[in-house]
Amino acid sequence: MINIEVIPIETDILIIGGGLAGCMAAIKAAEDKSLRITLVDKSNTLASGCAASGIDHLWAYIPPIHEKMGYSIEDMAEDHRQGIAFGLFRRDLFHLIAETMYERILDLERFGLQFRYEDSKIPGKFRIVEQFHSVPTSFNFDGKSLKVKLTQEAKRRGVNIINRVQTSDLIVTNGQISGAIGVGTRTGDIYTFKAKSIVLSTGRSNRLSRNPSGFDFNMRLPAPLSGDGTSMAIRAGLPIINIEFLSSRLLSPCGYYNPNYGDPRNTVQPSARIVDGKGNIIVPRTQFFDWENLGKEKIDPVENRRRWLEDRKIWRGGRATLTKRVTQGEGPFYLDFSEATDYEVEYIKWSIKNEGKGTQFMRYFEGEEGLDLRKNSQEYAGWANRELSGTSAKGLWVDKDLETEIRNLLGAGDEVGGLPWAAGPGAIAMGWHAGEMAARRAKEEREFLPVSQDKVKARMEICSNILKCERGFYWKEVEIYIQNLMDFYCGDLRGEGLLKRGLERLEYARNATFKAENPHELSRALEVKSIIDNAELVLRSSIERKESRPAFDFRRFDYPEQDDKNWLVFLSIRKDENGEYKFTKIPVK
Amino acid sequence: MGFRHIYFKEDSCTGCNVCVDVCMCDALAPNPEKGKPPIELYPDECWFCGCCMTLCPELEKGAIQIVTPFPMRGAFHSPHPSPLPTGEREGVRG
Repeated sequence: MINIEVIPIETDILIIGGGLAGCMAAIKAAEDKSLRITLVDKSNTLASGCAASGIDHLWAYIPPIHEKMGYSIEDMAEDHRQGIAFGLFRRDLFHLIAETMYERILDLERFGLQFRYEDSKIPGKFRIVEQFHSVPTSFNFDGKSLKVKLTQEAKRRGVNIINRVQTSDLIVTNGQISGAIGVGTRTGDIYTFKAKSIVLSTGRSNRLSRNPSGFDFNMRLPAPLSGDGTSMAIRAGLPIINIEFLSSRLLSPCGYYNPNYGDPRNTVQPSARIVDGKGNIIVPRTQFFDWENLGKEKIDPVENRRRWLEDRKIWRGGRATLTKRVTQGEGPFYLDFSEATDYEVEYIKWSIKNEGKGTQFMRYFEGEEGLDLRKNSQEYAGWANRELSGTSAKGLWVDKDLETEIRNLLGAGDEVGGLPWAAGPGAIAMGWHAGEMAARRAKEEREFLPVSQDKVKARMEICSNILKCERGFYWKEVEIYIQNLMDFYCGDLRGEGLLKRGLERLEYARNATFKAENPHELSRALEVKSIIDNAELVLRSSIERKESRPAFDFRRFDYPEQDDKNWLVFLSIRKDENGEYKFTKIPVK
Repeated sequence: MGFRHIYFKEDSCTGCNVCVDVCMCDALAPNPEKGKPPIELYPDECWFCGCCMTLCPELEKGAIQIVTPFPMRGAFHSPHPSPLPTGEREGVRG
């Protein structure tokens, strides 16, 4: 029997989740040497979160480049609103990120990351490609070691990093955050944190759907992310938006290694294109921007956007269109690099290796299979895991400064909802701002608030019961139950009857008795509890949104039309003090 | 022995356990015998990020090999090579 110890930790600022956002928040907050900063991570900040194994592109408004083009930040906002957010757009968060991201890139460079390349024709020697907007706005860089460098910088600044502790509860005293509870994933020990301000940055919930490869953790995004932050927030009475937008399964049942390339306009640009089995081009390749003529002629942003949106219709709809074609017997389709130049092939390989699971994928692709990117096209089908994707932008509703309704509690990164594909830049820029705000709020508080021990006792009881239990269920049994439930009752096409039955079955899972033979299994069981909370929010919000919104993969067979008049709004769900769920429609500003 | 996909080369691995430290899924455990390669305790909890390999101080010597599981393979158009796991290709499997 494991002896659970209680470990009390007092800190001015607590940052929950040590991914990109959490590391940036810690680094910024630590500029003030009078504050004690604690960063707590479920894994190890050296390799945790979506940037664990690297990021190779980050979007930003880049004044020295974009001013030369005649492309303003308002132009970029309009690109993002129309082409990326499809109208469900938080302009304030967009500006927070776009306006500060170039400065953050320069910070990352100071922390030891490489952004400049001798062969570049771009001012500043950067590598910049078109990805999310109508002109190039994404930095390509050597981002493989991003988390290692950020961890080093945080340590250099005196941040206390606590790895392998899964945070499970927020403690609120009189409407103000006073602390949090965590569980050691290797020890089972209970950590009780006392803090003056807290940043919540645990990311998305990535295990809501079964992985068709049969390898349950072969997700596009990191499997350990189970939506612990959303679970804590909803239990603390905070509103969550956009969580109904769980994406479609599409062609994912074909399995496969998930390299997370994205579309031909993503990590594999410029020379990737989609072809059918006969070699017909379905989605054409891109070209590098004509940097040599930068600034010679200003662009017409409106006309440029119109053309870009037209182009996006072809490839952005790529996955959905290809699914339809495959079901009509027209597949398979392939991602093809056969006409890439040597330079382009090297560029693509460099880009892939710096992003996500790309290094490991290339080890497999070139090493194990002995393949050649140019000679061996890859089937383009199986990469769309079902997930709360970047498009869904689910998460906490915060104000323009990332503050929640709970005093001194802030959100950052993928924890925050409202800006599709905020992604890496969202984590970096929001993390930085949240760190600054958390420092300001902590300094305003003279003393620590008293922390009620009720939740600590309750958490301890939950953990010891799971560890003591001999005849309960292994975490994975319950997880598979939830995933099957979500895939069937909350599938690609949803309706009230099935969704309600899904909720009923979810209640059954809530009552499941877990068993765990060690702290690792205990931690997984606690993750499944978070997954259940997240699944419930998806089901309930899906019932509430009475329309279809295909751009967000949201389809109701009982409400097949998109209804902008009533539903071009953020749908927020929260639990009131009586445990009742309440919905609010938040208008888009 | 059931399914496994992470293989350690006994003569290159120093048993430093960096891979155990950094694995985001906590799928590995240190070997009870000091200096020996870690144990793949939870093979089906791997996200395939490859950080255990990338951050391995003995990466060049191939101390860790990750073999892509069979269901995730074969996504490529012909010419199609025979599916050999890395270990067999390099003679270190098992």
